[in-house]
Amino acid sequence: MQIRVGEIDLHVQRLSPEGPAPIVVLIHGMLYDSLASYYFTLGPAFAAAGLDVIMYDLRGHGRSTRPATGYRLEQHVDDLAGLLTALEVAQPVHLVGNSYGGSIAFGLAAAHPSLVASITAIEAEPPVQSWTQRLGDGLARAKPWLAQEETIELIREARGGHTARLSRGAAKLLQLTTIAEDVLVSRTIEEGLADLKCPVLALYGDESVLMEQVDFLKANLASCRVVVLPDQGHSVLIERTGEVSALVLDWVREQSLVEAE
Amino acid sequence: MTVIQADRATVLADIAAMLRGLLEEYGLEDADITMATKFHDDLELESIDLVSLSGELREHYGGRINFAAFIADKELEEIIALTVGELVEFVLTALRNVD
Repeated sequence: MQIRVGEIDLHVQRLSPEGPAPIVVLIHGMLYDSLASYYFTLGPAFAAAGLDVIMYDLRGHGRSTRPATGYRLEQHVDDLAGLLTALEVAQPVHLVGNSYGGSIAFGLAAAHPSLVASITAIEAEPPVQSWTQRLGDGLARAKPWLAQEETIELIREARGGHTARLSRGAAKLLQLTTIAEDVLVSRTIEEGLADLKCPVLALYGDESVLMEQVDFLKANLASCRVVVLPDQGHSVLIERTGEVSALVLDWVREQSLVEAE
Repeated sequence: MTVIQADRATVLADIAAMLRGLLEEYGLEDADITMATKFHDDLELESIDLVSLSGELREHYGGRINFAAFIADKELEEIIALTVGELVEFVLTALRNVD
């Protein structure tokens, strides 16, 4: 379904059990991603386990509206807060964010602590200055590179037609919107990190460049559990779906029990 | 036997119509769609297109067609290799199990 939030429509897929249940909101990553990454992985498993599962496409992605501007992190955070209001969600939710989606989860917890019961950050970083700089630099390099037809053909030869089509979609998003530029001017939350009281589960692949986050999170967050998956790069959600599913289900159950006490 | 054949042809026609609707966005609505057509290699559908297809299947056949659960049981390689024929068979089986 399409849910109106402010000036845009967000594409939402919700799998709800009958009766009250913990609510889990699944937030996908940037550029190549959409709610499909959850719809065909964690979504059905969580619903089968009795959770109320909300999946949505970020603005500019999947089947949500693609405005030309408005891609700063805090605008994604506003979208999510607006979506929860529009869906009349009346209890703190468990956020699961993959990559950039994890940064949005941290952003929502910092801006609206009462909305968030817990965060699971999969291969993700809290939105601090070093994060915006690294991501912004990466997108600035990707923008002209992906715009060349030769690049898409190279990707097609190396990775197949499906990845080539996703890359063309990513190139379009970069060309038609300010998404690359907006990352650099996004609001960061380093000063609010110590105040972030909600429990955090952080999952990383041991071969990922994000491994340096492990010490940073442990040093800066009040409540953080880190799980590192061996022999694994950045694609933790897609390549280790079964383990991620079990870890997050246990985590949400544990947090729900804590809430009930 | 004839009846089952007719059903299969009807389901294939239904699914082909849904797929052409999705492909229209890419200017590929004339694509030839048979039982052997592969979603990824032949139609180059994105995974978000499969979410839309899942919604259309549910709308057309009712909640008994749980395409998301069907896909969730598969490995990524299996999903990439999925053919229109396999989806047709899944729909036929799901419909028969209810009747």
